[in-house]
This record gives sequence, C-alpha cells and structure tokens, in this order.
Amino acid sequence: MLAAYIFALRDSFNRRMALVLTGLSVVLAIVFIWIVKVKFLRGPVVFLGPRMFWAADRGVPSVLTIVMEFTSGVLWILLAILAAAPVLSSTLEKGWVELTLSKGTSRWQILLGSYFAGVTMYFTAVVVAITPIAFYLWWQTKVSSWPLSVSILLQTLSFAALLAIAAFATLPRLGAVLPILFAMAVYIVSAILAQRERMLYQFLTSRWSHVILDGLYRILPKTSELSGTAARYIQGEGITSWWPLWSTGIFIVGTLSLTAWLLHRKSL
Amino acid sequence: MTTPAIETQDLHKKYVTLRRKEIPALNGVSLSVERGTVFGLLGPNGAGKTTLVKILLGLAAPTNGTARLLDSHPGDTRARRRIGYLPEQMRLPDYIKAPAFLRYMGRLNGVPSATLKKRIPQLLDQVGLGGVRKPAKAYSKGMLQRLGLAQALLNDPELLILDEPTDGLDPLGRKQVRDMLLSLRAAGKTIFLNSHMLSEVEQVCDRVVILHQGLVARAATPEEFTRGTGEYIVRVAAVNDAVRAAAAAVANAGTWQDATLRFAPRDRAQLNALVDKLRAVPVEIEAIEPVKNSLEQFFLKVVTGEDA
Repeated sequence: MLAAYIFALRDSFNRRMALVLTGLSVVLAIVFIWIVKVKFLRGPVVFLGPRMFWAADRGVPSVLTIVMEFTSGVLWILLAILAAAPVLSSTLEKGWVELTLSKGTSRWQILLGSYFAGVTMYFTAVVVAITPIAFYLWWQTKVSSWPLSVSILLQTLSFAALLAIAAFATLPRLGAVLPILFAMAVYIVSAILAQRERMLYQFLTSRWSHVILDGLYRILPKTSELSGTAARYIQGEGITSWWPLWSTGIFIVGTLSLTAWLLHRKSL
Repeated sequence: MTTPAIETQDLHKKYVTLRRKEIPALNGVSLSVERGTVFGLLGPNGAGKTTLVKILLGLAAPTNGTARLLDSHPGDTRARRRIGYLPEQMRLPDYIKAPAFLRYMGRLNGVPSATLKKRIPQLLDQVGLGGVRKPAKAYSKGMLQRLGLAQALLNDPELLILDEPTDGLDPLGRKQVRDMLLSLRAAGKTIFLNSHMLSEVEQVCDRVVILHQGLVARAATPEEFTRGTGEYIVRVAAVNDAVRAAAAAVANAGTWQDATLRFAPRDRAQLNALVDKLRAVPVEIEAIEPVKNSLEQFFLKVVTGEDA
C-alpha cells in the first residue's frame, strides 16, 4: 500500500488543481501574516486586527478560528475535492488500471493508497495555510497555538469522509465528475441536515419525513458539526460531544470497506 | 511432472448490460499452455481474446469454469508477482518519466528497491529507451510500447502475457521484440502472446490457438497450420505449345498461368516425370516450390467458416 500511497501522492501534486490549492495555501499564509498586527493592551496579550477586513480587537484563538473556518468553507472544500477526486478516478482509468491491478498488490491497497494520498494533500494544504500564522502569533504573543493541531485533524477527518464518498463514486469508472458531485452533494446535504430542525421541519411536518431526515443525518458524515467542534476547540472549549467524531469515523470505515469490497468483485 | 503454466477448463463469460441483456464473450474455452513455450492466441475482433486475458490476470471473473496460472488462482497476488503483463493500450500520467513509472510498477510487484535500482537502467537500455529523459506525454506509440515491455519484464517473470507487443513498432523494433521473445523462451520463460500480427505468431510461437465466437476453433502448431497443400508450382523460363503439351502428358489437371504451372502430383515420381518431360522439350526450369498455406490463409478460412 505504501508504494500506491507514495505514487498517488506524487500524482496528486503533479495535477494542476493540486498546484492551485497548494499555491492558494501559500498565498493565504502570506496574506494572513500581512494583514494581522499584534499589539499589547491591558496586561494579558491581546491581538489587534486583522486591520483590513475585520478591524477589531481579537484574541489569538479568535484569529486562528477565522483562519480555520476559511479552510473548512465551501470554496476550500470544493478546491480540495477538485484536486483529490481525479487522483482516485485515474486509479481506475482504462489503460492504467490494467497495469496496476494486474500486479501483485491487492486492489484495496491501491484504492486506499490513492485515498490516503488525497487526504494527505488536503491536510498539507491546510497546514501550509494555517501553520505560518499560528507560529507567527505564538512568536509574537507566546499564546499557545497547540489546540490548532487538533482542529486541523478534526477538519481533515471531515474532508476524509467526503473523499470516502468520492472513492465510492469512482467505481462506475465515469471519470472525476461523478465523485466530485457526490462529495459536494454530501457536504451540502450534511450541512443542511445538521440544521434540519430549524431549516426543514417547519416545511416538512409529517412524522415520516422527520424519521427519514433523522436517519439520513445519522448515517451521513457530520461535516458542519466537525467544523464547529474544530473552531470551538481552538477557543479552548474542548470536545463537548464525541458523536460527530465517531459517527463520521464509522461512516468513513463503512464507505471505504464497501468500496473496497465492490472493487474486489468488479470485473474490469 | 510439471503442471501447465496456464490451464483453463470450460471457461464462460457473459457480460450483462444495464438493460439486463446478456452478451456472451466466452462460451467454454479450454486450453493449456505448457511451461517454457511461446503460445499464440489468435482471433478476430470480438472473439473473446481480451476477455480471456482479463480472466487469466484476475481483472475479470468468469461466469463459469476454472482458470489456473502457475498453479494458482488468477486473483492470487503472490502468483501475479511471477507474471509480467503488457496490456494492449497503456495510458500513463502525462508527467511521469520512465524510471519513476518502472519503479512504481516494480514496487507493486514487490521487487526490492535495490533490485530495481540495478534492473531499471538495464531494461531501459534493452528496450532502446536508455537515454530518454522526457515525460510520457512526449512518447510516441512505439516508445510507449517499449516502456510497456520493460515494465512487463521488470519482475523477471516466469510467465509473460503480452497483448499486441509489436503494435506501433517499426520493422526493426518488431524484430528486436521477436528476438527478445525467443531469448526469453530459451531462458525457460513461458510466453502467452495475443497478436494480430500473424506472421509474427508464425515465427515465434510453438503452439497457436484460434479463438472464434468465444470458443477454441483450432489449436495446433504453426507447422500444422501451414503444412503443404500437396500442390506444387513449376515456373519455366518461357512457355509455348510444346511446353504445354509436355506438361499435359504428365500433369493433366495442372493449370497454367503465364509461365507458371500449378498442379498436384500423385507422388514424387510424377513430379520428377514432369521435370524430365519439360527438360526434354527443352525448356529451362526456374523454380519448383511446394504450395503452402500461410497462417493468414488458415486463419481466414477458420473465421469465415470455409474450413468447417
């Protein structure tokens, strides 16, 4: 699996969209460092800024939360899916799949190698975008930025769930479009389902529709809850509910297991 | 007693469309490939050749029947590490360069890094890509084919399954591949060759199977396929009435076309009698040749049903 992982990682960073994502991460890191200004007010360290867009006094955790939320937003997720899904779909591309799957490595190992390469790409992009500003703030204020590492992991878990769906959608071998659409659909639907009581139940009043939506919510990954948990963790709240974590974890394991099993049985 | 390198028993494969329509690809293929031989698989488009190869490699599952490769099930990853495969069409990532591609293929087959380090430059030299530094997107079809051959040989396989190995190669490249196949056979390797190049199959294969409509239509050695028809061609320097009369005295059923007589002697004595008669005319005999079937002629007879 390691060979497949290393190759897929190399493959992903050779694609245009991955270069765009990485480039954007670097730009983001530079922009954040440029726009924040640190000032000490009233004893404990207080962070002043960002001066251009949100001109307000903020603490270090608050600024890190803004940065973190940027990398869990629709645009960033879409870019990451656009970059990672082709790596998965190319694994099953005609002319390439005959070469790789006829070798002495199991299909599931090749699939997981590509999958983890996609997750690593997202993780790297987030780390590149956030770590410099976190380090800069710690250097200036000596306020610990360590909670950020847990938040990045939570955010990566959320992306991993979307990529698992993308991996599943590569099985019909219809290119990268279907995996991208599936992943984005799940991202949007799970965010809506998280707010179903406020957004949907006022329109859908039947008991059955509530049962169906509740069931769907339980099955699908909890991407918006994970983003919320990640943001709150930076603020020092800790993880108040483990339900989004383990249910998303189960979703990832379940989806990948099903995908690997179907791929194993698939006639190419 | 050694077991065959490849053995299939009553192999069936049906593809099912989205509308639940069944399309048969193989209708009971039984064949055996002995170790250390070159085996040729022939057949028209749609005969089931690619499906058979896919089943052998574990890329597709048979609907019915069994297949064994190197005493293992086709899906066995350990067995696959002893097989080299060149697919008909290769599609490589645009940016990749030959050494990186070969390294990945080798690692998937469990070849140790130290071995790859030595073997990759050797193989690239062997297939004529030694000094090439450009990425795959700049490769010609022939170069891709050579790279495909290199990856198939990377794990020093016991069994090579080659799908159209000389496709896209120039005559020199084709000869190099033929020589390579013969030297691999001499080294005890088994080669399963799926090719449309009938002359190539005729030159290198020890045994040939013609697949037609998902069934083994014929199986024989190339010599058996191309053995003489019993007819001879006698070409003379010039033909006139005296020559025709001399020939007619011996070979009544023969047919003339310009200065060439084609006839089927009862035995060698009748052929010699014809030569004597012609020399007595006198006329100069330029050539006497037995008429042979080419593999192509035989193949066409089989697939058009003339050979039934």
